[in-house]
Amino acid sequence: MRNKKWLTVLTVCVLMLGVLSGCGGNNKANGGEGSNSGPVKLTMWGAVPPENGPQEVVDTWNTAHPDIQVEYVRFVNDDDGNLKLDTALSTGQNVDLYVNYTLTNLDKRVKGNIALDLSGYTDYNIDEKMGADAASWKVDDKYYGMPTKKNSFFFALNKEALDKAGLAIPTAWTWDEAREYAVKLKAEGFKYGLVQHTASLVDPLDSVLVKDGYVKADGTSNMDDPLVTQWLETLNGMMKDDLTTPPLGEQLTSKMPVENMFLGGESAMINIGEWLIRSSNNTTEFPRDFQIAFAPVPRLTGNEADFVKSGGLGDFISINSKSKNKDAAWEFLKWYADGGMLPMAAGGRLPSSNAVDQQTAIDHLLGDHADSYDKESLEFVLYNDKTPTFVRGIAQEIVDMRAQEYEKYFLGNQTAAETVQNMVKRHNDFLKLQGK
Amino acid sequence: MNKSWMKRQSRLGYIFIGPNMLGVLLFFIIPAAYSFYLMFTDYKFMSPETHFIGLANIRRMLGDELFYVALKNTFVFLLAVPISIVLSFIVAVALNKSVYFQKTLRALYFMPYITSGVAVAFVWMLLFQPSSGPINGFLKGIGIAHPPGWLSTTGSSMYAIDIIWVWFMLGYNMIIYLAALQEIPEELMEAAKIDGARPWQIIRRIMWPLVSPTTFLLLITGLIMTIKNFGIIQAITQGGPGNSTTVLSLFIYQNAFRYYEMGYAAAISWALFVIIMIFTVLQWLGQKRWVHY
Repeated sequence: MRNKKWLTVLTVCVLMLGVLSGCGGNNKANGGEGSNSGPVKLTMWGAVPPENGPQEVVDTWNTAHPDIQVEYVRFVNDDDGNLKLDTALSTGQNVDLYVNYTLTNLDKRVKGNIALDLSGYTDYNIDEKMGADAASWKVDDKYYGMPTKKNSFFFALNKEALDKAGLAIPTAWTWDEAREYAVKLKAEGFKYGLVQHTASLVDPLDSVLVKDGYVKADGTSNMDDPLVTQWLETLNGMMKDDLTTPPLGEQLTSKMPVENMFLGGESAMINIGEWLIRSSNNTTEFPRDFQIAFAPVPRLTGNEADFVKSGGLGDFISINSKSKNKDAAWEFLKWYADGGMLPMAAGGRLPSSNAVDQQTAIDHLLGDHADSYDKESLEFVLYNDKTPTFVRGIAQEIVDMRAQEYEKYFLGNQTAAETVQNMVKRHNDFLKLQGK
Repeated sequence: MNKSWMKRQSRLGYIFIGPNMLGVLLFFIIPAAYSFYLMFTDYKFMSPETHFIGLANIRRMLGDELFYVALKNTFVFLLAVPISIVLSFIVAVALNKSVYFQKTLRALYFMPYITSGVAVAFVWMLLFQPSSGPINGFLKGIGIAHPPGWLSTTGSSMYAIDIIWVWFMLGYNMIIYLAALQEIPEELMEAAKIDGARPWQIIRRIMWPLVSPTTFLLLITGLIMTIKNFGIIQAITQGGPGNSTTVLSLFIYQNAFRYYEMGYAAAISWALFVIIMIFTVLQWLGQKRWVHY
């Protein structure tokens, strides 16, 4: 009798499973038919909202190529979004192309064998087209995708305030000079001299550590580089003594809208990147009556020759190694990089391929708002500043633990020396764990 | 005859619970068992190789300072549960009698519970804004020169989260209490009044003991819900500033879905399970002293 009960339970389970897997099977069959007859269908995953360019890009391509139809799917570039993409990739859902926004993410995907090694395609020389900066995206000396966008990080300045304070637009400067600028500009009637976007806030640290090494020759952490302490103390002074920049705790927990503060005239300078242009071109939402000038990010090191700045290339597009339409995806990718992506320039995404003329790119970037920018300094920051660049490639764990420690410092919970000590300790622990 | 009817009935019963059991099996029991296995491996999501590493994850957890920070934060977070229960009992008693705007007030108190968590988070962020937010504006107005930094300092952030959480749970607890208070026989209160009991004594000696099964229910469900919840923290502080609001559940989430350290996250999950288990067992044992059915 007992056995029979179990038999019933089992039958029910099996029946349900049958029904469920039946559904799955049907879907697969449909997908297969679609790719056999009619045009090739590609799916591209990216994090830019479709209305900010990608839809126009895809539409242009689809009109010109009836045989290869591309569909754009947006994922949000945060933990959840990347997890969604990774899950889709590793469970074999239809993702043909996808955009990696950080080296850290790319690295995971290469290890998971879901990024196609592009060295099989010989009709496009990535190094030649994209320049020397492309090499920082190589994993094990191979391209598992193609960088398509120029990253630019800069200080945007309120030109009117600069003129009033009698300050020149810097073309190379140190954090000490930037700190003075902030004081003088604040005196022109601003709430803050400088606000910083959280994405570029920590760049000075990476700049130092990329140059001097994250890890010392003996394999231990190099987070106790004296310039790290200098960064901590400079910013802390600006937050607490000069009151020229918002305290970090306040900025983080109130999710301070720094772009709005700069464009709204509350702050005279902002440490940000090319995505500022998306907001600053939107004069209906962010009306402003001043020109924006641009300066390269300041350096911590006294010696200009030792400086590397955050930048390089971004929007690294990979082809799914399990894609059924790799060649079609490759065709699209080449077209996208060589100017197909131009509609996205209005959102700040400048093509990195030298197939795209600099002037065309800037025209797309500024649109009809060119008058509201100081063009000379913009061109300098985007193209003419020859400071070597880097792309941050350290593990998320290190980024996070570093942030936790400097947050504690800026909140006054620990001294700069303790902060550095804790960073070193936690970094060493992490290194040990990885080494095992 | 009767026996075979019973048999058929029970078979029918299994068919009825079958779909549900299948769900539980697929989405709960199998994953739970799998996570138990993961605890002993170094499985990282998307990484092609997985090794059996024995107790290394558990050793790593016990040596991880952040684990203890998260554990401490979790206990601070749990403080919100008893506070909210006591407050909601007081509110329920007040609203149980006829007061002006009784219905409106009940609805108002229940509002937080049915509001979207992210919306709640953003409103509280504005309220708690340290330099220009309304709460500190008020505190400065009444002469407190250095009001707390609320969410923006490591010392106060967990307590600020507690305040939000108390406020959030208040409505739900209050509704349950109101129902329980309705169940108290009127005669008992009248008898007490005739014997000369003061209102406070009635509340203390009659109402509180008679709703103790409800209190017990709210305590257990509240503790379990709180210990598992991190959505509100993720929306407001992401565990910061520093790691002052990283609770265990958020710590698990970060390890699993930010760092893809599935094996380590599984180990912490099981630690969390053990903690919830201990809590529940302690309460079951303790209830005999103060819960009156």
